[in-house]
Amino acid sequence: MIDNQSGYILRPVNPSFIYISLFIALLINFLPWGNHAWVPDWLIVCIVFWNIHQHRFVGVITAFVFGLIMDIHSGALLGVHAFSYSLVAYIAIAWHHRITALPVTTQTLNVFPIFALVSIFPVIVLWALNEQIYWWGLTSLIQAAIEALLWPLASYLLLLPQRRPIDVDPHRPL
Amino acid sequence: MQYSAPPLFKQGISALAKLIACIVISLALMIIDFQIKSLDFIRSQVNVVLRPFEQLMLLPSSMISGGGDYLTSRTTLEKENIALKLRQAELSLLANQSALLAVENQHLRNLLDLQKIVGFKTVPVEVLFNPPNPLSQRVVVNRGQNQGLKLGSPIANEMGILGQVVRLYDNSAEVSLLEDRDFAIPVLVARNGLRAAVVGNGRNQLLQLRYLPVASDLEVGDILLTSGVDGIYPPGFAVAVISKIERNLDQNSSNVFCSPIAEINRHLQALALIYDPEIDAKPASAMNAPAQTGGRRQTRPKGQP
Repeated sequence: MIDNQSGYILRPVNPSFIYISLFIALLINFLPWGNHAWVPDWLIVCIVFWNIHQHRFVGVITAFVFGLIMDIHSGALLGVHAFSYSLVAYIAIAWHHRITALPVTTQTLNVFPIFALVSIFPVIVLWALNEQIYWWGLTSLIQAAIEALLWPLASYLLLLPQRRPIDVDPHRPL
Repeated sequence: MQYSAPPLFKQGISALAKLIACIVISLALMIIDFQIKSLDFIRSQVNVVLRPFEQLMLLPSSMISGGGDYLTSRTTLEKENIALKLRQAELSLLANQSALLAVENQHLRNLLDLQKIVGFKTVPVEVLFNPPNPLSQRVVVNRGQNQGLKLGSPIANEMGILGQVVRLYDNSAEVSLLEDRDFAIPVLVARNGLRAAVVGNGRNQLLQLRYLPVASDLEVGDILLTSGVDGIYPPGFAVAVISKIERNLDQNSSNVFCSPIAEINRHLQALALIYDPEIDAKPASAMNAPAQTGGRRQTRPKGQP
């Protein structure tokens, strides 16, 4: 794969690194952050990232399973996260050509609606099941914005093992 | 077809097909969980696997706070000890007196043939974490069914009521806090005994006092206690204090906002109250049974003269 930011060819990805990074993101979500509107969902950043960059290894099913785990962890209605995670994973796969070609800052703007969908989704489900809109639930757009701001960090950290050293040996330019 | 696609282009099931399958499954799960609420066995099974990881991720924060505790100086500990001893002396004095009062009260109630006041047991619980959820405000505590907690058990600390157990697992439980959007608790105003209900409004929002007429005698600063009419909360526990009253005479309604007395999301230690008034409720005796003859007209059973 070509890194569109630096123009270098990336090393092939190590599938175990993908799964370990997803698991670590899940563990970071388990940290006792408290229930605040600004706490980012680290796992969805990681899932969307890998769905955009390596959708051969991580797809809709992985997102669904992690969504179920998050449902049970957060005590939400079973299936809320599973639905939104798998939907978002599909959107990420569908958009991956477009998003990877953009510079990272523009990518941030492109992934924001994806994160916003996940953050707002519980409110939408409540509206569909109870026919009442819980307006305060929309404060979780702050969460989506913070996740979008984490995107450059995620693309730096998660592509790190695939980057080649920049200093090229002058005797062997290729 | 004679020629199938070369293996280079074989990518398995398309993402769209997977998406449709996942969406159908999660929709089914949501509807079943919402309508029948019968999926708790899945939760408890998965929780057995998840709890160790969640406990593991609690270690960093508990190490930070524990390290702080370890490094508190000897003088502060001594000061704290003296203060606690004083407090304990005061409380034990009060406890002696209240035991006397309780005996007297029970005796008087016996004389008047009123229902007995039911005692309750307490189980100390520790709050593990506060899971992220924009719609609700819950905490997970480290005691469950095996330690005697029941669905609906109130959780309180020394200040007042914190919440109620809404989901029960073997060794842990989910507690819905007062702020939770679906939370309601029957209260009475300590100053004049008006009965009403306090309803939660979502995370970090004030609670609301409902079901009172606009002309009710309420003031900012009134303390609301549990009334005990529901048989879930023992009577007399502090719940909230009225912080804002918006009277709207045109619509004959008033918005009464109150804030919880116990700092519901600050403390790690709490008590679960095991309280079941029906266990001790006696069947109606000859003395307090409703009168069979005379006085009020009674509805006849169908088909009888």
